[in-house]
Parts: sequence; structure tokens; C-alpha cells
Amino acid sequence: MPKQKHNGGAQETIDTVGAPVRSMWSGTITFGLVSIPVDLMSAVRPRQTAMKLVDKAGHALGREYHCSKEDKELNKSELVRGYQTDEGKMVVITDEEFESVAPEMSGDIELRGFVPLEQIPAMYFQKPYFLAPSGKTAKAYNLLATTMEKTGRVGIGSFVMRGHEYLVAIIADNGVLRADTLRYADEIRTPESIGLPKPKKAAAGKVRHFTQAIEDLKQTKLDLSELEDKDAQALLELAQAKQKKDEDVIHQRGLEEAVDEAAEGSAKIIDLMAVLRKSLAKNAVVTSAGAGEPISLAERRAQKSKAAKRKKPAKRRAKAARGS
Amino acid sequence: MAARAIWKGNLQLGKQELAVKLYSAIEDRTVRFHLLHAKDRAPVEQHIVRKDTGKDVSRDDMRKAFSLDRTTAVILEPDDLEKLVPPESRDIEICRFVAPSVLGDQWYDRPYYLGPDADDSDYFALAEALHSKKVVGVARWVMRKKRYVGALSSIDGYLMLSTLRRADQVLSFSGIEPAKANEPAASELKLAQQLVSSIETDFDPSTWQNEYRERLHKLIEAKARGEKLEPVRRKKKAPSASLAESLRASIAAVKEKKVA
Repeated sequence: MPKQKHNGGAQETIDTVGAPVRSMWSGTITFGLVSIPVDLMSAVRPRQTAMKLVDKAGHALGREYHCSKEDKELNKSELVRGYQTDEGKMVVITDEEFESVAPEMSGDIELRGFVPLEQIPAMYFQKPYFLAPSGKTAKAYNLLATTMEKTGRVGIGSFVMRGHEYLVAIIADNGVLRADTLRYADEIRTPESIGLPKPKKAAAGKVRHFTQAIEDLKQTKLDLSELEDKDAQALLELAQAKQKKDEDVIHQRGLEEAVDEAAEGSAKIIDLMAVLRKSLAKNAVVTSAGAGEPISLAERRAQKSKAAKRKKPAKRRAKAARGS
Repeated sequence: MAARAIWKGNLQLGKQELAVKLYSAIEDRTVRFHLLHAKDRAPVEQHIVRKDTGKDVSRDDMRKAFSLDRTTAVILEPDDLEKLVPPESRDIEICRFVAPSVLGDQWYDRPYYLGPDADDSDYFALAEALHSKKVVGVARWVMRKKRYVGALSSIDGYLMLSTLRRADQVLSFSGIEPAKANEPAASELKLAQQLVSSIETDFDPSTWQNEYRERLHKLIEAKARGEKLEPVRRKKKAPSASLAESLRASIAAVKEKKVA
């Protein structure tokens, strides 16, 4: 089967069966007085290295919270969070108090400024999320996406999710809005605070040597095999080899509920592609970079304007897809 | 106060080599809490138990299992896990250099500053070369028994090495063509562009404060002194109107603010 059809429209998805990701938050982007209701979903998949905790015989294990005084199991409603002050005093903060800290921030991402994307240094970027329109219509969503793509600007705002305030850049990427969380300035160290020596003028000969080394290794594209998850591959191979020898294989119901060895939170797992097809575009396709060439925003824009000049026969295909 | 290096390595760029130290470029400012039992405020202990019997399991009896499908998993014994540890090395291999735009921001994970380990003139020479060629390097290395992929770049005359996500983690899209009914009208687009340009600015991270964190600290301090803090009042929502009306009203509001 060809990896990609030559007409470039209905692409086969190889690595994307369902593209399950985590849904984290629902809220509203406000842009002036315009409100855009959205759902926020992780735009990166967890690494395929997660393992479950079991006992020697393969029984699924779980986590319980116990009171250190009474030694009995506690459920979530019996827990509170306490902050230990420098003087050793424990201050309890109730859920209502957490809420009261910033009630206006918890449901909104207010875009308070638009900046050129290239002005944000890479070290500020923390984690990308996709935003899917969740209102009755995607009109305002499309308006914001188109406007930002046209102007080359990204919106900056902040919102509160699970007891943290996040600074975000809202980026339009190929018709889909992304909220990339950014670090705050006080979370970034400076060379001075680390104690690195002051930059000095380097000898021209040395600069030349390095420049030559860079020239020798310069390429226009990534080679994704260099960015593969070799740890995950080694893990899978080892596990498959053990399965073949029927060594330490466990078949058990309820294992999927066993606690993750490195817990990633308990957000709802959703099918990203299905969500986007329902809310945004019937032909939406999600691919991981590992499944095909990743295309940068700039390259995509260039392709888009090229594609716009040609007349696209996408309509008919879309209908056929719907009919089947 | 100078920070401590977390690791030492050797950058390998073809025939050139450079000894460097890694320093975290991030300062963790998360406000951390302890979980307590609401009734007696005693700290909470975590127990790992068997799901079916609820019995405690000791650390020695715990194993990791890797799921092959929904019902089948394989237990990895400690010596299996030992086999998975990559060979130790100090080398940071630079595989290739590419234009920064080739690596989208979704790839970037954790940034580290590199500092010179021995010769700082070589260090600043490489930073200068990277800056003038406007490239980033794709890097691979093994650190503390784990494999990493990363991007080598220069910033303000210093070298930076950011860890990157792996290829199968980064998702992207195609085929997004909104339905005709949801396409914005030309007049709406014009208004939206006006609104964007009216609040256009340069990226200045120092203007963004984590207000939530500041208010949380204030709340904690007040409670520690035994005071109560007035809850912050909720803002009123703007009435819903048509898209074009909302845009016009927004532009007017920004203008008013600028005059005032």
C-alpha cells in the first residue's frame, strides 16, 4: 500500500489508529469580546515505555493512601493539602480556598497580546496542547486561526488548570489551534545566575574550525531515525523475546487498572482524530512525526499558498468518504 | 549563587570535540503541598497493595510489567531491566545541523545551559559559529543510564542543549478544511486583523507574572498568621453578540484604553 496517495488528499494514516490522547481542560479563549469555547488535549503522546506495577506472581498492584496516625485507608474526599512554612508550620488550604485564589482565571484563556512566533525562544516552550472547538459552531475558532496564520502572530495569555497557572502561546498550526504552555521568566535561569564565564571574543581560527564542522554536518531535513525512541524499542524487543519463550508472561484481567509505574495523571483518554473530525473538519488526519515527515509551520504555510493557487478537488473525495 | 553542573560530557561534531558541563536552565517554582488526612491533619502515607486482596506488597516483591496488548503483559525481572541500560558514555553525538524552523516548538522538552569544562575559548568559538550559521544541532547522548535526543543551539553567546521529545510522541495534522458555513466572512477577517494589530506587541517574558502563584503565597502567609483573605471577585462576562459586533466593540475598547 502506498504510504501517501499522490493527490495528497486522503492520506493513509499508519501510526494513528485513533491517536488516543488525554483531554485535560475545557474553557473559553477570549479575544477582545469574542469568546471561543474549546477543549484542551495533549498534543504529545506519552512515551511507549510505561510499565505497570505487579507483584512477583503478576497480580496487579494499586496505590492506597493511609493516615499515618490511624493506619486506615483514606479516600480522596478525606484528603486535604497542607503547605509547610519555613518555620515548620503546616497550613491547610481547602479546595474552596484554592478556587478562591483566582476564580476568573480558571475558565478562560484571555489573549492579552499578539507577538511574532519567532520572538519566543525555544527554552520557553514547555508542553503543547491541541484546542478543539467545543461550541455550537467553529466559526469564531476558524476566524482566530485564520487571522493568526495571516498575520504570523501568536496570542499570549494565561489560564489556570489543576492548581497551576500556565502562560500560553496560542498558535494556529495548519488550521488547528494549539496552546503551548510557556515558562515564566522567573523559571528560567540566566548564564549569570548559573555562574558561567562572560562571553569573550573567540580566536578566528577556532571559529573557522567549528564553522567547517557545522558545514560538513549541515542538512535541510531531519532524519527521524535519529530521533527515535531507542529505549522504547529495546524494551519492546525484550518483552517480545520473553513472550516468545513464554517466560514471565501474565494474562490477567484488571491489569489495565494497575497503577502506572510512573503515573502521568488520570485525565480522560480520548480519540483526538475523532474529536477533530466531529468539531472541525471531516477529513482531519492526525499523524505522529514518527509516521511520516514532520513539516514545520513555515513549510506548511508555503505549501498551503501553493495549494491554494491550484484548484483543489477535495470536495468530491470528502463526500465519498462520508458516504462510505 | 553559582549553580552546580548536573553532568559532564563531550560534544562530538565530526572531528571537533568540546568538553562541556550541563546546568539546568530551569528553576522549579512550583508551590508544593503535602497530602494530609482532613480529620487529624496527619500526613498521608502511600501504600502499594494488591488490587484484589488489598494486602500490602513489599518493595522487594514489586515488579514492573510491560503490556503487549490489553490482556497480556511480560514481567521484567531486575536482570532484564539491567540489560536495557544503554552503555555508559560521555559523548554527546551531533548527528546533523538544520535550520531552527525545521524543529517545531512541540519537540522541545527541557533546556540545559552548557558551560565550558576546560577550554572556554573553544566553547565561545562554537557558540559564535552556531550563531553565525543560524543552525541547531540534532544531538544524542546517554546520561545517567538513559538515552536522550536533543537540540544544540546558541543563545546570547552561550551554548544550550535542550532535550527533545521522541519522533513518535509529536503529533501533527493534515486535512483541515473547515466547512463552508464556518468560514469567517471577509469583513470579519478584516476586523479580527485590526483587533490583532491593536494589541500587537513584542514578546517580553518579564511582563508576565504568575499571578496565581503570587496570590497562593499571599493566602498561605495570611493563613499562617491566622488571618482570613477576602476572596477575589469574579469578573462579569460580556454579553454575547454577533461575531462582527463583538469585534467592533473590542476594537473600540482597545482604542479607548489607549486614549485614556
